[in-house]
Amino acid sequence: MRIVVDLNRCQGYAQCVFLAPEVFELHGEEALMYDPAVPDGQLERVARAVAACPVGAVLAGERAGPGGG
Amino acid sequence: MSPQTLFRRITDYAHRADPYPLYAELRANGVVRQEDGSYLVGTYDEVAALLHDPRLSSDRRNRTEPDQRPLPVRDDLPPSFIGLDDPEHDRLRRLTMRSFGPPHSPGTVDALHTGITAIADELAGALHGRDRIDIVDDFAYPLPVTVICRLLGVPAGDVPRVRAWTTAIIAALDFAPEQDPEPLQEAALAAQREMAGYLGSLAEGRRGGPSGDMLSALVNDDGPEGTLTGPELMSTAVLLLIAGHETTVNLIANGALTLLRHPDLLVRLREAPELVPQAVEELLRYEPPVQFLPQRTPLTDIEVAGVTVPRGAPLVLVLASANRDPLRFPDPDRFDPMREHNQHLGFGGGAHSCFGAPLARIETQIALNALLPRLEGFRLAEDPPPYRRSPVLRGPRRLPVVRG
Ligand code: HEM
Ligand code: SF4
Repeated sequence: MRIVVDLNRCQGYAQCVFLAPEVFELHGEEALMYDPAVPDGQLERVARAVAACPVGAVLAGERAGPGGG
Repeated sequence: MSPQTLFRRITDYAHRADPYPLYAELRANGVVRQEDGSYLVGTYDEVAALLHDPRLSSDRRNRTEPDQRPLPVRDDLPPSFIGLDDPEHDRLRRLTMRSFGPPHSPGTVDALHTGITAIADELAGALHGRDRIDIVDDFAYPLPVTVICRLLGVPAGDVPRVRAWTTAIIAALDFAPEQDPEPLQEAALAAQREMAGYLGSLAEGRRGGPSGDMLSALVNDDGPEGTLTGPELMSTAVLLLIAGHETTVNLIANGALTLLRHPDLLVRLREAPELVPQAVEELLRYEPPVQFLPQRTPLTDIEVAGVTVPRGAPLVLVLASANRDPLRFPDPDRFDPMREHNQHLGFGGGAHSCFGAPLARIETQIALNALLPRLEGFRLAEDPPPYRRSPVLRGPRRLPVVRG
């Protein structure tokens, strides 16, 4: 599955990093890095991160745009 | 009824089971000065903006109006960071975060997953064959208290002491208007002192010999920003221990209650556990364990929705009301676990937004996944259940369910 983080919306709350630390990473205090191609073993964690992002910035699957799925 | 009495009515125990009509009245009346001099805000846009407003202080020492419901003030310890402003707040929160989350410890919460699941499964397993369950005492309470004690490094055998101290501390928040607050406050202060001393000496004992828990990290960690002083460590540890379980108990219990009231959704979630993370967010909107934030104070006169709130006045942010604001949430009084764009304020927001939110989230998700299968064939023995006294930390005191 693919994900996209809308970095305009992202406020750096890092909820995603807590919940899926192998997919999302915080560089310094604020800059968010992530792996757009989610490995199968991380799907459940990423689903938790999607639900937890306070500003709905993590888009997964179809919402990640064309070729998302 | 007069909008000036709203705060009194909201805190009145008679309205504990269903404060939501009062919140609708609050939103309709805008910001109104209460008879005790405090100001209440209950609309989403205003509460969300105020959570990010640097002109608001979380430090009660900035109050000029007399405080109707004073928290016990510790004489011998500094306030914990929930009651401090930046830059002090930020320094302490960062130092504490070093052992709990990113960027320094990104894997801490994720690593707790297996342990929490084991505790939840064990508690749920013990419900097997019972005809009557108290969801609070048998499940919702023991899970988070065990988890936070383990995370901090508090021995499991000391949980009863932790419970007694916490009860005394929370009771000082909960007094009824006709009650004399003094004895409760005395007891709360004594409990706080004992708990702080206890946690401080546990941490001291691990200086130089860390045992993988947060108390060890807090006492030994020497990062670029230094370490906590002894008194800071004690205040922080008390905060983590209390904030780390009191609220989560209520979220799990509120969750079970809400789902027992919506049996179709209970079945749906039991059959589709992948919906549970989103359902937990909806619970945080619909029945938030922290109903309002009682400790904000403007540092200068500010205008909120056309009303001037003077410097030094208690300004109460009613999160549970903002969460039901129809201008922000369509059909706000409906519990909809599939709700989209659910930017609820259940964990607050801004600089003080809940430190433990990721842990609370996975605990509650795991708890509901373990509990829901056990509730098959059960119904609420009492609806509404008896509530705890607190209007702030709101949740059932007991949640009895019976077979049939
Ligand atoms: C469902 C469970 C929980 C809820 C609803 C909740 C709610 C909140 C809220 C609304 C605040 C903001 C207070 C303010 O702005 O004045 C807060 C702050 C805080 N919470 Fe939680 N909380 C929960 C669980 C936890 C857990 C598990 C921990 C500890 C591991 C924790 C630790 C804290 C701390 C330390 C603060 C102070 C943060 C600061 O001042 O920067 N909470 N929580
Ligand atoms: S949880 Fe959302 S806002 Fe926070 S860092 Fe991740 S994407 Fe950004």
